[in-house]
Amino acid sequence: MNFEAVKAIYIFEMARMRRTLLQSVVSPVLSTSLYFIVFGAAIGSRIEEIDGVPYGSFIVPGLMMLTLLQNSISNASFGIYFPKFVGTIYEVLSAPISFLEIVLGYVGAAATKSLILGTIILATAHLFVPIEIRHPFWMLFFLVATAVTFSLFGFIIGIWADNFEKLQLIPLLVVTPLVFLGGSFYSIEMLPEFWQKVTLANPVLYLISGFRWSFYETSDVSVEVSIAMILLFLALCLGLVWWIFKTGYRLKT
Amino acid sequence: MQHAISISKLSKVYDSGLAALQEVDLDIRNGEILALLGPNGAGKTTLISIVCGIVNATNGKVSVQGHDIISEFRAARERIGLVPQELHVETFETVWDTVSYSRGLFGKKPNPPLIEQLLKDLTLWDKKDSKILELSGGMKRRVMIAKALAHEPKILFLDEPTAGVDVELRKDMWQLVRRLREGGVTIILTTHYIEEAEEIADRVGVINKGRLILVEEKSELMRKLGKKQLTVELNEVLETLPEALGGYDLDLENGGERIVYRYNSQAERTGIGSLLADLNRAGISVKDIATEQSSLEDIFVTLVEESR
Ligand SMILES: Nc1ncnc2c1ncn2[C@@H]1O[C@H](COP(=O)(O)OP(=O)(O)O)[C@@H](O)[C@H]1O
Ligand SMILES: [Mg+2]
Repeated sequence: MNFEAVKAIYIFEMARMRRTLLQSVVSPVLSTSLYFIVFGAAIGSRIEEIDGVPYGSFIVPGLMMLTLLQNSISNASFGIYFPKFVGTIYEVLSAPISFLEIVLGYVGAAATKSLILGTIILATAHLFVPIEIRHPFWMLFFLVATAVTFSLFGFIIGIWADNFEKLQLIPLLVVTPLVFLGGSFYSIEMLPEFWQKVTLANPVLYLISGFRWSFYETSDVSVEVSIAMILLFLALCLGLVWWIFKTGYRLKT
Repeated sequence: MQHAISISKLSKVYDSGLAALQEVDLDIRNGEILALLGPNGAGKTTLISIVCGIVNATNGKVSVQGHDIISEFRAARERIGLVPQELHVETFETVWDTVSYSRGLFGKKPNPPLIEQLLKDLTLWDKKDSKILELSGGMKRRVMIAKALAHEPKILFLDEPTAGVDVELRKDMWQLVRRLREGGVTIILTTHYIEEAEEIADRVGVINKGRLILVEEKSELMRKLGKKQLTVELNEVLETLPEALGGYDLDLENGGERIVYRYNSQAERTGIGSLLADLNRAGISVKDIATEQSSLEDIFVTLVEESR
């Protein structure tokens, strides 16, 4: 195991994020505040409570998941796409490191940043609404597992993408709609029965539901199913990454 | 003796179906400077990219100081430094950070004094805190060299190191190459500037259309293939060459004022003595004579043409 290399990539990637520190911190704080103003104040005044949880508090886990998913994907996909784009990937490919170590460095850094953002949002939300975390261990589990899984997913997108459009395509057209329709801001019980069934096909629902359970013990689906689903995604992404590693897909000619 | 790099039956067919390398066999000795010559598209970069792990070979084996590049890729790659042909550098990072990063990537513990010395050697020291995107093209190339050397490689690949490079950097680079060689580093450089190979290499390999046409000591190559020519300036214009000189490979040039004699410098008898005697006998008066050795460039052109 080439720890120095993993460390080098990790530090290098974190430095890239530090350069945009202001933007990285200000934008989630701002957007969280906006969500609270729009959803919490405007809509929340009409929806008092969901499952006995005040609406403002109810949306916090969904809000965290939204940022976590978007940022994990964009950080990790950009992190590996950029060296491909400017050509510096040659150095990573010629270094005495395995693909696993490359993944550890890039995905580790992307997941770390997402976790930092998640924490910032939690803190910001705490200024607006009361928050309770009933199951801190599971809350951390969902947080870390989601950050890692979607950073892996982003890494795969970054390797697959050979232009900027493709890089934006999946996050924009797939992930963001899934998050919004996955019960970030509502309980699926509020939907007509038909749409409840449809929503069950949305993988993000399981993440948000499980995550919210760790806060308030209310969930749309059982928490065991949520845990199984996040582990399934993790396994899928790991499998894909392993396949890329085996075939050198889009990295080596 | 174990070779720095040992390549056997190496072939590469790109997805496009193009055979960039065909059964290349090449042993590179420890501590030598080998110049790979070849026209554009000959396969030089492909060869280097395979050795460095950037391109997968279609067939064949490569080992680096005895370590297979696939099964022992760590041991193989940590010995190698690469300065690629294209200018690929990070943009927003500082010179210091990017060079230190390269060292880490190759599994070496940080060593600030070494990086400092490296940057000083490459006259990059006063730019250490500059962002790379603020540097000129020549400076960027220096950064790439520093990155390649940051992990103290035993073998250095320089792919077209002087293409589009200013005189000063070229001079510095050759100085560095000589110093590295004195320190035992094996250096492989590709170029299509023949003078470069002539100036610095110990051995020369010629690649054309994916085939290694030959590898030879530079001096041996010059000796073997080096044709010489003798130019004889005449006092009076000759209409035609006298029959008495029919036994020589002669050309009458410059409107009959000059006779050119081409001969092989490695032959036992060059025939110069008898030619001069025969000229004298034929009553041709000689104003001046000069000999010229063909350069590597001429040799190279001949070889490439022969392999067409
Ligand atoms: N990634 C690639 N895909 C397809 N063909 C390639 C690729 N890279 C190089 N080639 C082709 O392979 C041949 C050898 O290229 P290269 O090794 O770059 O030659 P050189 O470095 O000697 O100029 C060229 O015909 C080039 O067009
Ligand atoms: Mg080339």
